[in-house]
Amino acid sequence: MIYDVIVIGGGPAGLAAAIAAKKEGAQVLLIEREGRLGGILKQCIHDGFGLQRFKEKLSGPEYAERFIEEFHSLEIPAKLWTFVTKIRKSDQDFQVWTVSRNGVEMLVSRTLILATGCRERTAKQVSIHGTRPAGVYTAGTAQHFTNLQGVMPARRCVILGSGDIGLIMARRLKLEGADILGVYEVRPEPSGLTRNMIQCLEDFDIPLHLSETVTRIFGDDRLTGVEIAKVDEQMQPVPGTEKRIDCDTLILSVGLIPENEMAESLRVTMDPRTKGPVCDSWAMTDVPGVFSCGNAFHVNDLVDYVSESGELAGTSAARYFRELKGEADRTAENWISVETEGGLAYVVPQKIRKSDLDKKLVFYFRCRRTMGESMLAAISAGKTVFEKKYQAVRPPEMERVVIDLSKADIVGTSLVFQLGEVQA
Amino acid sequence: MKEFVCITCPNSCRMQAELENGQWKVTGNKCKRGQQFAESEMTCPKRTFSTTVKTAWDSVPVIPVRVSREIPKDKIFQIMEEINHMTVRKSMGRGDVLIPDVLGLHADVIVTSSVLKEYLEENNKENTYMHKDCAQEGGNYE
Amino acid sequence: MDCQKLQKKVRSIYGNSIRVTEKDGNIVLSGTLKKWEDIVGACSLCVDKKRRYHVINNLKLENTELPKMKLPHIQDQALEGRKPDVLVIGGGISGASIARELMKWKLDVLLAEKESDVAMHASGRNDGEVHPGIDLGKGTLKQHYVIAGNRMYGKICKELDVPFKRCGQYVGMMHWSELLPAYLYACQRKYMCGVSDTRVISGKTLRKREPHLNPDMKFAIYNSMAGSVCPYGLTIAYAENAVQNGAEVALNTAVLSMDVKDGKIRSVLTNRGRIYPEIVINAAGVFAEDVAEMAGDRFYSIHPRRGTNAILDKKAGKLMGGIASWKTLKKTSGHTKGGGIVHTAHDNLLVGPDAVETYEKENFATQASSIENNFKKQQGTVKELSQRDIITYFTGVRAPTFEEDFVIERGRKTKNLIHCAGIQSPGLTTAPAVAKDVAKMAAKMVSASHPVKKNESYNPYRKGVPRLREMSPEQRNKLIQKRPDYGVMICRCEEISKGEIVDALCSPLPVYTVDGVKKRVRPGMGRCQGGFCMPLVAEIISEVTGQPLEKVKKSGGDSYLLFGKTKAGDGK
Repeated sequence: MIYDVIVIGGGPAGLAAAIAAKKEGAQVLLIEREGRLGGILKQCIHDGFGLQRFKEKLSGPEYAERFIEEFHSLEIPAKLWTFVTKIRKSDQDFQVWTVSRNGVEMLVSRTLILATGCRERTAKQVSIHGTRPAGVYTAGTAQHFTNLQGVMPARRCVILGSGDIGLIMARRLKLEGADILGVYEVRPEPSGLTRNMIQCLEDFDIPLHLSETVTRIFGDDRLTGVEIAKVDEQMQPVPGTEKRIDCDTLILSVGLIPENEMAESLRVTMDPRTKGPVCDSWAMTDVPGVFSCGNAFHVNDLVDYVSESGELAGTSAARYFRELKGEADRTAENWISVETEGGLAYVVPQKIRKSDLDKKLVFYFRCRRTMGESMLAAISAGKTVFEKKYQAVRPPEMERVVIDLSKADIVGTSLVFQLGEVQA
Repeated sequence: MKEFVCITCPNSCRMQAELENGQWKVTGNKCKRGQQFAESEMTCPKRTFSTTVKTAWDSVPVIPVRVSREIPKDKIFQIMEEINHMTVRKSMGRGDVLIPDVLGLHADVIVTSSVLKEYLEENNKENTYMHKDCAQEGGNYE
Repeated sequence: MDCQKLQKKVRSIYGNSIRVTEKDGNIVLSGTLKKWEDIVGACSLCVDKKRRYHVINNLKLENTELPKMKLPHIQDQALEGRKPDVLVIGGGISGASIARELMKWKLDVLLAEKESDVAMHASGRNDGEVHPGIDLGKGTLKQHYVIAGNRMYGKICKELDVPFKRCGQYVGMMHWSELLPAYLYACQRKYMCGVSDTRVISGKTLRKREPHLNPDMKFAIYNSMAGSVCPYGLTIAYAENAVQNGAEVALNTAVLSMDVKDGKIRSVLTNRGRIYPEIVINAAGVFAEDVAEMAGDRFYSIHPRRGTNAILDKKAGKLMGGIASWKTLKKTSGHTKGGGIVHTAHDNLLVGPDAVETYEKENFATQASSIENNFKKQQGTVKELSQRDIITYFTGVRAPTFEEDFVIERGRKTKNLIHCAGIQSPGLTTAPAVAKDVAKMAAKMVSASHPVKKNESYNPYRKGVPRLREMSPEQRNKLIQKRPDYGVMICRCEEISKGEIVDALCSPLPVYTVDGVKKRVRPGMGRCQGGFCMPLVAEIISEVTGQPLEKVKKSGGDSYLLFGKTKAGDGK
């Protein structure tokens, strides 16, 4: 059979996408690599999920299971323990090759939704040198051990990077009896959410050291210590500031990278700023019929937004063949491009489908640096067509903004976003 | 006057609280919840927290739990102690109460995932596969 | 030799504390120096270009105790009283290949390796290049073995089921003025040294084959017989085949001392008991000199030389299909080619290695400066090379003698000993040829005490763990139908199934550690570096061995991954 939509990845983005596509009447199949749906949320046992969507402070598994129940109630088929090895594109559809305990299977779909999430940066990717002992883990790996396998990865622990998972793991391991000697952040400001700084570090008297980083690893068998150094404005270690800290574990929370190997194999154009695909307001990449959502599209800070992005991809994919049906859709004139200026790190989606110019669209953006009172402006043909004021913006906190494009007079081929601090 | 950040929602409002005639006057908050948070933070700071509890099954060695509502911050480790001494020996799923009214704090410790329940149900069926329970097939070199 | 003259020469540079004496026809340097580089410099200065004698280094480093060999933690009597015909010391490519070749005879072979796995030192920290031998002049053992070794690779890798590609090597030159000297050099190598595959190719041809190479390269010396192989994969394969044919590989087994009498090793003490071998083969890498000393037969010295390589993501593998470097005739320094870029057998790119003298034989810590230097240098080979593509890096320590040549010979004073020492680059390339000769030598030596027969049941073929990701869908499907675990994906980056991991743990030489599995079937070798799969691999090890998860180790010693369970529980 030929599916209308195959969703790859059964985390929050994929679940929301499959549900939305099914509700639009599409024949949907979800493919998940692991044995259970829910993705990384399975191990995110801390609460704080779903505040926007459910107005509740749910744990990761609770949030995921609400979607899983809806997914099952809609009788959407899912292939678990199934891994996509390659995807071939033909004129009309996609051949998705999978392996599972049942063997090799080729599945065919008209559209694909890539909801493959992201992976963590490793010690080597942040240029830490020294030996290679046991006891150097990414926060996600430590979380897997602690929360799913019930084993302790750390006793005396240094955390590098103040990303949210690092902060969450600081608290988590502290609760389980580990000593958390400190969180070190190479940047001059924390990279996690403010509430996590407070409820994960401050509440447990865990010190945060800004503009300091781990430069070396010691130990032959198990980690015996790390070298810490202060960094200058270019984030380079300052000679003479090195000090050694004895510890048995180093946990890294130094950033997430969207997983897009499949997208790349399909020759989807990637955005170097987000490290995810360039997508339009339908969550579609520049390969017609291929959609991207969740953390594979760009790294989100809240799961609520991941679900929202999945829903858009699901709805769009279902509508893709029904409404657009092919060729006419492929010309560049159908889109206007979203560009960024000033203090913006990125804005997504990167393109607006012209047929969406009469709709309310959701944009997400991140700023480059922390700013006080700031103004986001959308400019078309030199004219400001939208403005929104923010009390403060911080790079770790992704902002979501809804713009009613019908009220904005957009002309030309691009819409330029600007973010600037409001002069007092 | 005390300054702090509200952690009720991701807005992270920077707030100031001042005692005026026995009432906390709060500024900087964008919503009502900020007021409540500030008052509680000034009198008895409260938090929620999550952890896991041991089960009797090797394939699902722990399941996640959390407190159903906020509890005083200084009781966290006491509750952890309670949970750490328990072993789940029956099927429990999301929402099931592990410890009712823990330490008399009017909050329950509840299970937040149905992973164990699903596992036990699955295992009663035939032709299911769980990663850890799969039979050892050994090295087959041909 | 004239010790006085040498001493004068050395003292003029390194000071009067050095003494140069002669011992059994070799040169011994003694005294104390402040810097290790000076010790290396002084010894190197005494090297005889014609290699008529060896330089032995007895110089002390002021105020520094040289680190002792790291020993395994195990203490037992598992090998007590063992009387093998041949004891091979060292489980690197040399020891493993010799052990395998020895099995062509009916011999009791015991290989002792002090680490928790084979290929843990130089053979596991190697760029995997199978050298064409273009950089070696006539007259050395290295040169003698490199062509022979290179030509054996196709067959040996087929027998041992190890991926090997003859991807070719390009040495690019930046100046037209170097064309004639390079051409003459190439001719000399081709016709005088037997490097028959040597060609000089134009820049145009070069770019047609490798479009990403530096456009400034005017021409290149090309050797089509150069290849890349997984160095630890080959070592493991050799060791497994040896085991399949009856050899014993004792891991975590360190040689501590020897009882030598009347020019014969009577017994060898290890941490696992005393062994009484007929003959001993010293393939101990950086510790070959130490083993020689124990055997009362130390006539050479090893000066460890560190090298660091960076591994790039497979995405960067597309930049180059072969092996390449650039060279100028103007200045050449150091004893290695100065590194290059290698397209590995697993389709990553490897950038490096550099060469740094060190007295620490087992310090494998990496330095940021090495990576910087490698990239700076190799951006001359491929301009697009980017440090952003690095997924990991590693340091190895080479084991050269001061003569910078191999020592492959019978003991000089101790007669039941064979040295296979000073094995540095191109030691991986030469191993198949060296192993054949050493094994033959050993068999002959054993036959002096009792008759040695051919092993009629010797099986040169070893079947590795199936590599499902390389199979056609039909083949793959067939295997999964037979064993569903082959369809359960554990490592997403390298596409490794549970079945393959279980196979590695049930292989002839199983190593029940995360790194042991990683080296055999590659989970964790990819871009996430085990972030996703490591807990799962640990769980599979726990399943297969029956040990609890918290007892699983990353590698040897006390490299436990975990500290017990999070929860005590008590049955409430």
